[in-house]
Amino acid sequence: MAFISFVQEYFWGFLLATRLTLLLTAVSLALAVVIGLVFAFLKISKNPIANLVAAGYIGITRGMPLIVQLMFLYFGISKLVVLSSFWAGTLALAFHAGGYVAEILRGAIQNIDKGQTEAARSLGMSRRKTMALIVLPQAFRRAVPPLGNQFIIGLKDSTLVAFLGVPELFSKSMTAAAANYRPFETYLMSGTYYLVLVIIFTWLVSKLEKRLSPDRQEATS
Amino acid sequence: MSMIEIKGLQKSFGDLHVLKGIDLTIELGQVVVIIGPSGSGKSTLLRCINFLEFPNEGEIRVNGELIDPKTSNLDKVRQHMGMVFQQFQLFPHKNVLHNITIAPVNVKGMPNKKAVAIARDLLQKVGLPEKEKAWPSQLSGGQKQRVAIARALAMDPDIMLFDEVTSALDPELVNEVLQVMQDLAAGGMTMVVVTHEMGFAKEMADQVVMMDDGLIVEQGTPEQLFENPQEERTQAFLSQVL
Ligand SMILES: Nc1ncnc2c1ncn2[C@@H]1O[C@H](COP(=O)(O)OP(=O)(O)O)[C@@H](O)[C@H]1O
Ligand SMILES: [Mg+2]
Repeated sequence: MAFISFVQEYFWGFLLATRLTLLLTAVSLALAVVIGLVFAFLKISKNPIANLVAAGYIGITRGMPLIVQLMFLYFGISKLVVLSSFWAGTLALAFHAGGYVAEILRGAIQNIDKGQTEAARSLGMSRRKTMALIVLPQAFRRAVPPLGNQFIIGLKDSTLVAFLGVPELFSKSMTAAAANYRPFETYLMSGTYYLVLVIIFTWLVSKLEKRLSPDRQEATS
Repeated sequence: MSMIEIKGLQKSFGDLHVLKGIDLTIELGQVVVIIGPSGSGKSTLLRCINFLEFPNEGEIRVNGELIDPKTSNLDKVRQHMGMVFQQFQLFPHKNVLHNITIAPVNVKGMPNKKAVAIARDLLQKVGLPEKEKAWPSQLSGGQKQRVAIARALAMDPDIMLFDEVTSALDPELVNEVLQVMQDLAAGGMTMVVVTHEMGFAKEMADQVVMMDDGLIVEQGTPEQLFENPQEERTQAFLSQVL
């Protein structure tokens, strides 16, 4: 059948491009968590300047279309330093996702009962240790589902760096479709790749969630 | 020298004047029970003693040393004061043993092995030696509160503060917690106990303090306060709770 041979033709090429997609997504999201954590703290801080900086950053990342941010950062960053398109794209995606992650983490941190902090402080723990040992572990645990969501969005958003010339999965499909005049089959195939990644990822997140909540797991079993 | 000496303590939350001038002295080894209607400022007073709240006016001396929230090392001050809360506040992401060892290890820098030995000893004392691997979510309220007491004791405090620690418990679980507190008092621990358990107050208190509307209305021995209350507000309150 024609479709089978079509699949055979592109299977490995797309898989290779998928590796780049995954790498791009993983690195950008890891950076986004670091950026997000920093801005979450700035937003929670009692310092009004820190609050303003955080609000500005989060406002920009959430308020502009991603493709505009990507282009702006790509050409902006490229003016300052010479970066490969991979790194320019990865940093731009991280910048964008960082705003969402910041909001997720801020919410999770602020949702931890104030009594937990008080209990820790009453034991003589410093502010810093209370945050590191008591609040953050619980906040991260609660943030896993929304972070997982954000990661899925990040995976799909990574398609846009095709426009920066990164030869990831979507870019490969555009090139392929232009060459074979079979856009329907081509995008159906790359779309399936993305879908499978999302399904695997969703499964991993639910695994992680269970693993991070040993108490609830045993309590309910 | 008194363990805690409070003079002219005042505390407001915005426009709400909660403590209006508290003078209170707590001697080493004493059990001071604070009673009074809800909203009278009992919790706030307790929280000012370990500086979870900062006073607006007045002085608090701990072991003779005047504490200034702005300049004193409050982490250090709090290390010597245990506190137990109405809502337990065990750390849900740590098992029972880890709840008890986390402060000695991370605050005092105690070797884990030693902290574990102390924690096991304390679990024995509060009657939960078999629960060291349990998660807080697997415990009953009474068990949680006993672990919370053990957690505070693990820092080897000079004084323990109890804020209505049996109020969130089902009635049948109250006694197991009170028993632990009685053992503690009998062992000579200095304690400040906010409670509605008048039986505990009568039996264990060296000093009973009646608070209302941000002030100490009356204080004395349990005999004086329960048998022969001088103030109308004390009489009214006692007639409601006894
Ligand atoms: N953090 C706070 N912010 C605002 N009001 C508070 C706060 N803590 C306590 N209050 C108020 O102070 C009053 C005394 O509270 P509290 O000390 O908890 O009384 P009690 O423990 O005797 O019931 C209450 O009216 C309470 O609403
Ligand atoms: Mg109270």
